[in-house]
Amino acid sequence: MIELAAEENILRIHWDEFVFGSIAFLIILGVVYKMWPKLTSALDERANQIEGGIERAKKAEAEAEEIRQQYREKLDEAHRQYAAELEKAKEQRAAIIAEARDEAQAESRRIIEAAHQQIEADRQHALAQLRTEIGTLSTDLASRIVGESLNDSGVQSRVVDRFLEELEQAEGADRAEVR
Amino acid sequence: MYSAASEEGCHLFDPGCKFEAPGTSLFFPNPWLDFGLPATSGITKYTLVLVVALLVAAGFWYFTTRNAKVVPGRGQSMAEMLVSFIRDQITRTTMGKEGDKFIPLLLTLFLFIFSMNIMGLIPGLQLPVTSNLAFPAVLAIFVFILWNAVGIRRHGVGGHIKARLVPGGVPVWILPVVVPIEALSNFVIRPATHMIRLFATMFAGHLLLAVFAAGGWYMFNLFGAPNAGLGLLSAGFSGIALIGFLVFTAFELFIMAVQAYVFVLLSSIYLGEAMEGAH
Repeated sequence: MIELAAEENILRIHWDEFVFGSIAFLIILGVVYKMWPKLTSALDERANQIEGGIERAKKAEAEAEEIRQQYREKLDEAHRQYAAELEKAKEQRAAIIAEARDEAQAESRRIIEAAHQQIEADRQHALAQLRTEIGTLSTDLASRIVGESLNDSGVQSRVVDRFLEELEQAEGADRAEVR
Repeated sequence: MYSAASEEGCHLFDPGCKFEAPGTSLFFPNPWLDFGLPATSGITKYTLVLVVALLVAAGFWYFTTRNAKVVPGRGQSMAEMLVSFIRDQITRTTMGKEGDKFIPLLLTLFLFIFSMNIMGLIPGLQLPVTSNLAFPAVLAIFVFILWNAVGIRRHGVGGHIKARLVPGGVPVWILPVVVPIEALSNFVIRPATHMIRLFATMFAGHLLLAVFAAGGWYMFNLFGAPNAGLGLLSAGFSGIALIGFLVFTAFELFIMAVQAYVFVLLSSIYLGEAMEGAH
C-alpha cells in the first residue's frame, strides 16, 4: 500500500471522482434552487406583513387622530351650543317675565276697568231705581198731602220728571263742583 | 481510536515494531469496485463519504425550507441565518445588490463544501471529501466557467478578455510584461489556487489529525512496557497526543468552516469582478 501511495500523485483529479462530485454538486444546487422560491416567498410575505402592519398602524393612528379631532370639535361645538342655549334661555326667561308682567298689568288694568264699569253701571242702575222709587214715594207723599188730585198718572209722571230733571241738574252742578 | 492507524495494531516496546507515520496513503483508499480504467479511482471510501455529504447538504436545505412559513421554525431560522450571512457578508460586500441572484449558488457551494469538510470529523467516516483534489476542482472549475460566462455576457468576449488582461492605469510600455502575467494569473493560477487552497488545508488538517491519532495509539503501551515506569510514561505521552488530537479536532472544525467561507467569498469576488468588467 505504501508503494502504491508513492506512485500516486496527491494532486490527482480522477475523472470518475470529478463526475461524482459534479453530480453531487448539481443535485444540491437543484435542491437549493427548487426550495429557493419557498424561502423567498416566505421572506417576502413576512416583509409584506411587517410593512402592512406598519402601514395599518399608521393608518389607525391617523384615523384615531382624526376622530379625536372630530370629537374635540364636536365637544367645542357642544360647549358653544350650550352657551348659546343658556344665553337664549336667559333671554327667554327675561322675555317671559316681562311678558307676564305686562300681561298681569294689562289684566289688572282690565279688572280695575271692569270693576269701575261695574261700579258705574251699578251706580246708574241704583240711580235709576232710586229715581223711580223716589218718584213713587214723592207722589205718594204728595198725594197724601195734596189729596186725590194727582191721581191722573199722566200729569203725575210729567211732574215727577220735571222735578227730577231739576234735581238732576242741581245734582250735576253739585257733582261738577265736587269733581 | 483512529481507524487507519489502529489497523497497524502495533505499539511502542512491541518487538519488531516501529512507528509508521500516516502518509499520503490515507488519501488513496482501496477501491471497493475498480473500474479498471486509466485515471480512475473506482468506488472508494470517498464515494461513500461524498454521498453522505450530499445527503447532509441537500437534506439540511430540503428539511429546513420545506415548510417555509412567515413565522419561521428553528430549522427555517437556521436556513435564513445562513442566507442572510451569505447575502450580508459575502454577496452584498463584493457584488452589491446585483449579486443577490448568485445567493443560491453561493449557498450551495457553502453547504456542499462545509458538509464535505465536516465529513473529516464524523466518527466512522473521518475523511474530508475535499481532501481529494477532484472535488474542490469540480467547484473551482464550475466557478471559473461561470466567471467567464458572466464576464462575456456582460462585456462581450473582447471586453471580458481585455478587462482581465489589461489592468487599468498601467503604462503602455509595461503592458508586454503585464499582460502575460495577468493571463497566467487570472486564467491558470487563480482557478488552480482556488481549488488547491481548499484541498490543501483539508489534506493537511486530516494528516495532522491522523498523526496525532496514530502517534497516540502507537505510544500507548501501559502493560507491554519493560517496566511500569516506562509504561506510565508511554500512557502519559499518549494522553498528550489525545489532548492534541482533541484540540486540533476543534481547530479543524473551525478551519473547515473558514475554508468553506473563504472558497465562497473568493467565488463571489471573482464573479463580482467579472460583472464589473475593467477596473
